[in-house]
Amino acid sequence: MIEFAWLIPALPLLTFLLLIVLREKLKKASGYVAVLISGITFIVATLVFLQLIDVGNFLMEWSWLTIGSIDISFGILLNPLNGLMLLLVAFISFLIHMYSLGYMDGDQRFSTFFAYLSLFTSAMLGLVMSPNLLQFYMFWELVGLGSFLLIGFYFYKNSAKQAAKKAFIMTRIGDVGLLIGLILLFWQTNSLRFVDIYQAVTNGDMSGGMITLIAILIFIGAIGKSGQFPLHTWLPDAMEGPTPVSALIHAATMVAAGVYLVAVMYPLYMASSLAMMIVAIVGAFTAIYAATIGLVQNDLKQVLAYSTISQLGFMMLAMGVLGYTAGIFHLFTHAFFKALLFLAAGSVIHAVHTQNIKEMGGLNQKLKLTSAVFLIGALAISGFPLFSGFFSKEEILASVWAEGQYGLFIIAIVAAFLTSVYMFRLYFLVFHGESKLTLDKVKPVPMTMKIPMMVLALFAIFSGFFNTSWFGTYIADFLEEGATYLEGIHHGSSIWLMLLATVVSLGGIALAYLIYVKNALNQENWKTSGTYQMLLNKYYMDEFYDNTFVKGSRGIGLGFQYVEKYFVRLIILFIGDLVTTFSRTGSKSQTGQAQTYTAVAFLGLVLFAAVYMLKGGY
Amino acid sequence: MDIQTLLSFEWGMMAPEFTILIVGILLSLLDLFGKDTWKKSLPWLAVGGVGVAIIFLLFQYGHGDISILGNTYVFDSFAFYFKLILLIATLLILLMVISRTVQQEVRDRGEYLYLLLAALLGGMMVASGGDLISLFVGLELLSLSSYIMVGLRKRDVRSSEGAMKYLINGSIATAFTLFGMSYVFGLTGSTKLVDIAREMSGSLGSGEPVAIIGFIIMFVGLAFKISTVPFHMWTPDVYEGAVTPVSAFLSVVSKSAGFIIIVRIFWGIFGNATFGGSDTLFATMIDFIAVLAFLTMFIGNLVALRQRNMKRLLAYSSIGHAGYILIPLVSLTPVSLENIWFYLLAYAFMTIGAFMVIYILEQQKQSEDISIFTGLYRESPALAIIMTIFLASLAGIPGTAGFIGKFNIFVGAVAADPAQYILAGTMAVMTVVSYIYYFNIMVQMYIRKPQLEGTTKIARLQSVPLILCVAGTIGLGVFPFIALNFFH
Repeated sequence: MIEFAWLIPALPLLTFLLLIVLREKLKKASGYVAVLISGITFIVATLVFLQLIDVGNFLMEWSWLTIGSIDISFGILLNPLNGLMLLLVAFISFLIHMYSLGYMDGDQRFSTFFAYLSLFTSAMLGLVMSPNLLQFYMFWELVGLGSFLLIGFYFYKNSAKQAAKKAFIMTRIGDVGLLIGLILLFWQTNSLRFVDIYQAVTNGDMSGGMITLIAILIFIGAIGKSGQFPLHTWLPDAMEGPTPVSALIHAATMVAAGVYLVAVMYPLYMASSLAMMIVAIVGAFTAIYAATIGLVQNDLKQVLAYSTISQLGFMMLAMGVLGYTAGIFHLFTHAFFKALLFLAAGSVIHAVHTQNIKEMGGLNQKLKLTSAVFLIGALAISGFPLFSGFFSKEEILASVWAEGQYGLFIIAIVAAFLTSVYMFRLYFLVFHGESKLTLDKVKPVPMTMKIPMMVLALFAIFSGFFNTSWFGTYIADFLEEGATYLEGIHHGSSIWLMLLATVVSLGGIALAYLIYVKNALNQENWKTSGTYQMLLNKYYMDEFYDNTFVKGSRGIGLGFQYVEKYFVRLIILFIGDLVTTFSRTGSKSQTGQAQTYTAVAFLGLVLFAAVYMLKGGY
Repeated sequence: MDIQTLLSFEWGMMAPEFTILIVGILLSLLDLFGKDTWKKSLPWLAVGGVGVAIIFLLFQYGHGDISILGNTYVFDSFAFYFKLILLIATLLILLMVISRTVQQEVRDRGEYLYLLLAALLGGMMVASGGDLISLFVGLELLSLSSYIMVGLRKRDVRSSEGAMKYLINGSIATAFTLFGMSYVFGLTGSTKLVDIAREMSGSLGSGEPVAIIGFIIMFVGLAFKISTVPFHMWTPDVYEGAVTPVSAFLSVVSKSAGFIIIVRIFWGIFGNATFGGSDTLFATMIDFIAVLAFLTMFIGNLVALRQRNMKRLLAYSSIGHAGYILIPLVSLTPVSLENIWFYLLAYAFMTIGAFMVIYILEQQKQSEDISIFTGLYRESPALAIIMTIFLASLAGIPGTAGFIGKFNIFVGAVAADPAQYILAGTMAVMTVVSYIYYFNIMVQMYIRKPQLEGTTKIARLQSVPLILCVAGTIGLGVFPFIALNFFH
């Protein structure tokens, strides 16, 4: 079965082509086609994964370009890390496809939506299977394209158009870092295959400074894709896309690609403590920074977006403190509960047609299932004991503690506390309290949307048990099997950490309960405070970028426009005239007289002979 | 030479030439004495003959170098590869002749066919010539047949005018060539290339200026065949006067033969001649050819800008292409010959393809003006797309054979020692200039509305050469290594 692993990205690509070509004919059926094929993709991925557990490793390569002695190949690499990613992406993508059947029902560009979604899925699956950085980079850009198309899906809305553009440009900035890193790596190692890169690091073929530089440049790519500070501002805006897209791309899979990139290049990072430190600090800072913003936002999806940024920060933090397995484990659990939260949010939006949480309230009466699964998601992300987030977050904290990064540890604890506060603020404001909407405005949620939510809810609760210190660390063991360089790093958890995590989680929930249900604190007072305004305006990052980079580049552009207008254009006019003049003269000399033709030939001969005779001195 | 030696030669190697000769004679006899009903199948006989000749030739692949008749006729890999181009191009042109839908005087038909084959035979003799005499005879066979072919539409004024100009200019060129050869003969006392090369590799001493004069005069004479400066001016008039398949023949087969003889003589003789003690004579004359290449690219592409008659336009464009092919001749890298060969092959497919499209439209719309292309995309999308492929290749857009050819020449010029930056730069600039007139045709096809009356359909027979040319153009563009590996 494993030889057919290439089918996994090929099938969604097929869907994409089918839906684009037969868009008009399939109409409604296109959704079912997409769901069916993504289901098959998931089955193939599962079979491949099951075989991979036995085999451990699989590599298939085809030579693609040969330049001198350098061979650039294209192929499929399967190891525990990307096997896990493969399964995760295929699974969530399948669920989201199904959910979209209900959510996108009645949309004019129904088929196009599924085509784009399949294109993205294909690219994402191809990305995790890449055996070399070049192929990785190509798929990396392709997922960016998928994301761009889907964020701008409602392109008739100006905000969606702007958001798509912003997402593309912001991630491109990161991509430039990745590209430079990639080129430097190629320069240093003469290869872009992961195995060769690991080998070069182990052999010490690169100087320490070069390793750090490359690691940081690659990390810039990860920052862009994973919405880490300071390139995070595109991710909240990306919520302009349809909600299933937010769930799949901007919560569960694509944004996690940055974390995956760091994981793939881990030997490189392990060789540079400075790069590791930067990863950890950026991660920790992003975690707390985004969490504080999430506290005050009033748009349901915006809060979830900041929560995603914050959780990705946790993963990066884990990566930076040698918590490789903790980071990937959190990526794994986060994919389920964050997708769940988005889907639940989507079904709320689907039902009430607003995203402003101030206009909601008391929805647990009308959306019973949605309310329940949202609560499950909220508990999971807050790290409520025995829910999946509890285990993964606790492992991250353990890694930070074990590395002795006490400063970062405190930041992480505070961020975890804030996480439960903002999540339960969201939960209480949306589902509890007085209903602010009239009854008839609430639409029922179709079955195709309910099933994925229920499945994800199950995983949000139980997926943590794949990796616990009580029943066995399956995921960690599996991952370490494929990554020999991780040997000797193990962060056991301890009882006091679990207790602390529990206290933090419960404390946050309690605080949210006091504020938003009991109204124990006067909320109106804060709203005038400077801190509240600063958080509400997201630390004015957008304004800052607008006034510096955007306006700055516009200014430079304006300057060049004048150069173009008064300098370049003149040159072009001159050249154009020159060409026309020559051309006219040339065709005038074509008299049509055979005598002229011969004369030209004779003259030419004489001229050349004369020049040579004179030059040669004969 | 007694009968024994004569029989000991490997005559089998001449099978392709003999096939063409026999089929040519057969055609002329059938044309004269055959029944009118047979005459319809005569073109197929010609196609079959060329096809058989190609097969015979392919059997020689990888055969070692041999020569017969005392080194006057050689079969080396050079002859093999270039004969292949001549044969393939002639095959495509024959298919083009067959596809003719407008009935002209039946009597013309047979004549075209055996004249084409006679010219082809001349070209093949040029490719295998190892002696100034055999080279010259081959060249003249090619030229004389071409003169008649251009003038065959005798009731057409333009045809007669073109033939007359071609004949006059051609004769003068022949005179030049012979005059130049006589210097070489005078200097070395032999007409065999091997002997000449041997004589010249010694010190020339006071013979150097004579050798240079011979070089220059011969080159100018042969410039006529490849229509480069200063012997290019006949080209547009003759192409315009000839029927389109003949224009295509002159543009591809005749020009290829011209390059073949130039490479054979100038690299063979002067590439071995020492000059001033250190360099070869050819190396010292590089600047001379470089100037010609520069002028040829320049004039061909710039004057093409103002042409509205499609055949004149392609004539100037073919002058430009000849300029490009002179570059590897100057660059003198190990891959120069390969680059010339590849470019000629690519040029054969794309040029014959473009002429074929013009031929189809010209028959349907009774015009050769560029306006035959207006709105073509609406009348016949397939034909418009096919023409776009040929134009893209002529312009050198990636994905086509023309791009690979130009790219190789460009890289060769830059990598050469001394590097020909000026020529490479001129080529790049002139390629951009050529976009103007090639893309203008695309503008006519896609953006303008149809102007002339008449429907545009591709007949079944017409599609054959079109498909072959498209396959060649795209195939060589996407998988150039197939052809290049074949060449090695």
